[in-house]
Amino acid sequence: MTSRFKVATGLVLALWVGVLVGPADATDLKDVIPNLFGQGIILQPGGPLPFFPQNSRFQESSLQVLDQLNTQLITGIGVPSFNSSVTGFTFDIERGIPVRTTESLGPLLTERATTLGARKLDLTFTYTRVNFTKLEGKDLNNLELVFLRDDANGNGVRDTSGPFSFESDIIGGAKLKVDLTEDIFALIATYGLTSEWDIGIVVPVTHIRLRASAQGPLIIFDQFGNRGGTSIGGLPVHRFGPDSTPPAVSLSDETAVSVSGGGDATGLGDIILRTKYNFLRNYDDLVPDLAFLFEIKLPTGDEDQLLGTGGTNLTGLLIGSKTYGHWFTPHVNLGYEIDTKDTQQNTIRYSLGFDARLSSELTAAAAVIGRAKPDGRGAGDHIIDLSLGVKWNPVNSLILRANVQIPLDKNNGLRADFIPTVGVEYIF
Amino acid sequence: MHILTIRIARLLLGMGLLAAVAGLPLRGEAANIVALRGADVDVYNEAFEGFKDVTRQSIISNYDMGGDLQKGKAFLARLKSGPKPDLILAIGLWALQVVVEEVKDIPVVFAMVLNPSTVIGQETRNITGASMNVSIEQQIALLKRVSPQVRRIGVVFDPTKTGFLVRQAERIAQQQGVRLTTKAIASSKDAFAALDAMQGEIDAFWILPDETVLAQEVVQYMLLFSFRNKIPLLGLSEKQARNGALLGLSFESGRDIGIQAGELANEVIAGKSAKGIPFTTARKVKLTVNLKTAAKLGIQVPKEILERADLVIR
Repeated sequence: MTSRFKVATGLVLALWVGVLVGPADATDLKDVIPNLFGQGIILQPGGPLPFFPQNSRFQESSLQVLDQLNTQLITGIGVPSFNSSVTGFTFDIERGIPVRTTESLGPLLTERATTLGARKLDLTFTYTRVNFTKLEGKDLNNLELVFLRDDANGNGVRDTSGPFSFESDIIGGAKLKVDLTEDIFALIATYGLTSEWDIGIVVPVTHIRLRASAQGPLIIFDQFGNRGGTSIGGLPVHRFGPDSTPPAVSLSDETAVSVSGGGDATGLGDIILRTKYNFLRNYDDLVPDLAFLFEIKLPTGDEDQLLGTGGTNLTGLLIGSKTYGHWFTPHVNLGYEIDTKDTQQNTIRYSLGFDARLSSELTAAAAVIGRAKPDGRGAGDHIIDLSLGVKWNPVNSLILRANVQIPLDKNNGLRADFIPTVGVEYIF
Repeated sequence: MHILTIRIARLLLGMGLLAAVAGLPLRGEAANIVALRGADVDVYNEAFEGFKDVTRQSIISNYDMGGDLQKGKAFLARLKSGPKPDLILAIGLWALQVVVEEVKDIPVVFAMVLNPSTVIGQETRNITGASMNVSIEQQIALLKRVSPQVRRIGVVFDPTKTGFLVRQAERIAQQQGVRLTTKAIASSKDAFAALDAMQGEIDAFWILPDETVLAQEVVQYMLLFSFRNKIPLLGLSEKQARNGALLGLSFESGRDIGIQAGELANEVIAGKSAKGIPFTTARKVKLTVNLKTAAKLGIQVPKEILERADLVIR
């Protein structure tokens, strides 16, 4: 590959990052949902009971998983595989001649052990559309809002009995609707330093759209579900009124809410630098080919605009694959990802899949991809997806690719019904 | 001698020297070399790099045929229509094939070709090069060192592919005090009967780089023959040793072969005719020894061989 071409490739990458990527919008998307209720719900201060002069504050509790929206957004989206391969040659040392390889074009979202080849360059451009629809199995268009009271007596728990049992009152009834979509344009470059060692970079540009609105009645209930909340001496402890937030016309156990917020952000996502080394190849007919992949995800995406996680992640992945009959290549990936900003987000990554050459130009690939957080906070701690895709090599070294990622466990974390990706790739 | 005669003699000598030097690239002026690669494979690329490292000449073109003989011929046709290079480097069997067909008047150096005589033929040509073959002497000597009681080495071959190699090997084997027991076959399926006929007649078996005998089932049968008759088998590669051959011997790297080709090219550029330079065999080799096979065959591999081996499979 000529040096002129290498310079041209570098310029394209620089343009992609520096010029084509515009600045993010001013609104912080990270704060859209928390800001819907600002300081929470504050009930009528004072009241009929003289020993409650202070405000009663209720905070939203059922959507805490949305506090980790950045991580949730990025967790479930697969990164395109390192490289494809087109029909080429291997060398038969016993016969002393090259042999045309008609192996498959390779997987889409998982890795196989083989590398690109010395001094080869693979440029890929992909587009992924994500339309999130579920949060912990619940419809994002119809999330129930539940507000819990602050700890009044400072003992660290919400009392369910005794004089402070009113701490267990809740406010419910309103619904939250979240419209969250993501468009990811990624430029991926992979270069074969040697016949066993590849280096690569993934540069994503993301557009995020977030709209959230909360509507409906806010009703006070006690811990047993009785409307009106706890009463003492026949007098309700908690009431809405003209001075509450949100207010009510008169003292009541109910008011209405209608708030919304949102915004769009476009910008550079978290850039990934990666390298793969194939340390065992064609050992014999039984032992698989083995490789090690190391990845660094840099905090280049604006965390406040949900374009990045704000932290640097390091990943090590062991890859095993073997081609049978020159057409079928099963592979397994197993690794660990460290989130240097929040170790509770550390993740075990695993996948099991295969790619199969259907014809000299067409390859199908499938894989089960899992991510598990042993020390996670609960929501989205173990997600499993099915990836199905095809690659088509219509001419020379041009490859067209299409893939769909389907969550197998939609009740876990923030999920889309499916995630389609299309792309075009060229190997120089 | 008359002074005039002396002066004329000196003048003629000077003119002769001048004519000789004029035919050579001036010091500091590199010769032009065109490189033709049979395909884009790592060993060919490594050979090319090794060649470049030892030549100080100018590589004006490096063309990849992509395994397409017609593309190679088209390239050479274009080459012939322009200024003639000083030398053509043909990397790989396919490149050498097209060069032999299309080029008659430019010196050729090849690299990474197995059994080059099968391509070049017997006629004298302005071609030399570095083959991938391991020298016959080295292979026979290795078998004898591993198993000193070896007197008869079995070989199955296709005369149309490796007849020349077997004839050479017979002479060399005799010089080394062993006998080559040969069975000629016309197709792969004849190999099984040929092997069976050798039972009890040989002390070791040697796999030749012969297309006809390299069919997978034939090689497996050879390995089985080796185990059943407890005789050592010398294979062509690390892979064959891993699959059960006692020994595997091959060239060490494409780069070394390229370096050898570069040295030959330097000689040709310096004025020596390629015709007069014999092909070389691999100077550096890679030896694999399978001790698991040795145990099954009841063979004690000498320590010197194990120390020399690049890979010992235990």
